Amino acid sequence: MHKLMTSLLLSALAMAALPASAEIVVIVSQKNPATRMFSEQASQFFLGKSNLFTPADQPESSHIRAEFYQKIADKDPAQVKALWSKLVFTGKATAPKEYANSAEVKKAVAADPKAIGYIDKAAVDDTVKVILTLP
Amino acid sequence: MNKTLLAAALFAAMQAQAGTLDDGNLSLSGFGTLGVAKSNTDQAQFTRYNQAEGVADQAKIGLDSNLGLQATYKINDWLSGTAQILTRKNTSPTFTTDLTWAFLKARVNDETNVRVGRVVLPAFLISEYQNVGYANTMMRPPVEMYAQAPIEAVDGADVTYQHAFGDLNFTTSGYAGVSRGKLFVPAAGTVATYRAPSAGLIVGGEYGPFSVRLAHARIKMTSNDLGPVNTLTGTLAKIGFAQLGSDLSLIQGKKIAFTSLGGTMDWNNLVAQAEVAMRVAKEPVYVPDTTSWYLMAGYRIGKVLPYFAHAAVHDAGHSVTLPAGFPTSGALGTPVASLMEAAEQKNNLIGVRWDFAKSMALKVQVDRVQPKTKAGTLIFAPAAGYSNTVTVVGAALDFVF
Repeated sequence: MHKLMTSLLLSALAMAALPASAEIVVIVSQKNPATRMFSEQASQFFLGKSNLFTPADQPESSHIRAEFYQKIADKDPAQVKALWSKLVFTGKATAPKEYANSAEVKKAVAADPKAIGYIDKAAVDDTVKVILTLP
Repeated sequence: MNKTLLAAALFAAMQAQAGTLDDGNLSLSGFGTLGVAKSNTDQAQFTRYNQAEGVADQAKIGLDSNLGLQATYKINDWLSGTAQILTRKNTSPTFTTDLTWAFLKARVNDETNVRVGRVVLPAFLISEYQNVGYANTMMRPPVEMYAQAPIEAVDGADVTYQHAFGDLNFTTSGYAGVSRGKLFVPAAGTVATYRAPSAGLIVGGEYGPFSVRLAHARIKMTSNDLGPVNTLTGTLAKIGFAQLGSDLSLIQGKKIAFTSLGGTMDWNNLVAQAEVAMRVAKEPVYVPDTTSWYLMAGYRIGKVLPYFAHAAVHDAGHSVTLPAGFPTSGALGTPVASLMEAAEQKNNLIGVRWDFAKSMALKVQVDRVQPKTKAGTLIFAPAAGYSNTVTVVGAALDFVF
């Protein structure tokens, strides 16, 4: 019960805090030559249309993930899932690897010059390079 | 069957190992549909195509239900292996399992892939994912078009190149190999086997919410045990029409081409999919030339997507010329004319897809099937033919995992 109250409180806080913390940034490794990118370009990697960069995704039920795909491609999680089902079950691509949170995405992106990820703007540090900000 | 068992065993073994083997290189996934459907007649049965059992006025789960399991193992940065098995009711009245995909994929560079093994024949727009309900808007591929090419798998190789020209994503691929499989022969209630060397080319482009795809496939369809056709051509040979018999028959192998132009749109809640496809015999064969098309349009309202579609298949000519003086009716003329005639049909359908939960969608669809000649794509129709409109009602739960 106490846990439930805490989580309810936390989600209420999260929702209240949403407008302020809603800024998402697209990041690559410091070793990646890219300096900036348009959202259309970034969406290509996350929707399986290009293999040039390797996407690192956030957990499927996370709020940041739903918001990211809405902002970058105007698609809700079910539409993104249906699109990936086409690619996965025809052997065209494998779905992006998921990481537990922004810190884990950042770690994976920092370590791989070909990786591309998206994290909460507040989580950015100098191990990664911001190439796109989604307001 | 041995291959299927092997794949199933392999999959089970991989799944059992997944815990210990989970170094991030193995991915297991799957899809399925739990569907139930019925029609309003007991005179004929409605099927997807190449199914030994369809639905009549009793509700059945066999028309649309299926389960697919897939394993992909990433061997290294450039090489991976994928296998997929699919369980459903196809040419047998019971559920059976086939190895639908099994290939090694090599990434030549960021834009080029080569696959060697078994892939699905990509004759039409959604051929490759027609069994993945979750990936589709409609409950089933329009039978009017997809029945034109009942071939599924190709054992061989394919190569795919994709390149972005600004915002336009261009893809092209080519494949070649040999297809082997079964054909359900409703007239005899039997199953024939075929072997078909096949090859094809695809070019496609995607621009934001719009995509177009042009595909051409050529097969050399060979079947020795197509009972009713062989009986007829055997009779023809005996009474002095050996050439006609050999023209009609598939025993020697006959070249048939398929061309499809399709497109999709998902723009501002407007969802559309349309395709036109032709089957053309390149050598004399009983299989009639056909042209088919469909148009689907829907409007997304949040998680609910109502849609409608119209589909049709028409006779587009014949490759066999009857010898001078050959009867057009009677004991010999009628069966020959009927064999070469296309099964024309139209269909109007409405449905709704509801993405009610994560990785799950519920669909309800009502088809109004209008067979025109030879009872259309319906099976087990009265010998005299069947041209009444048949209503098929279906509900399905699609899921992926």
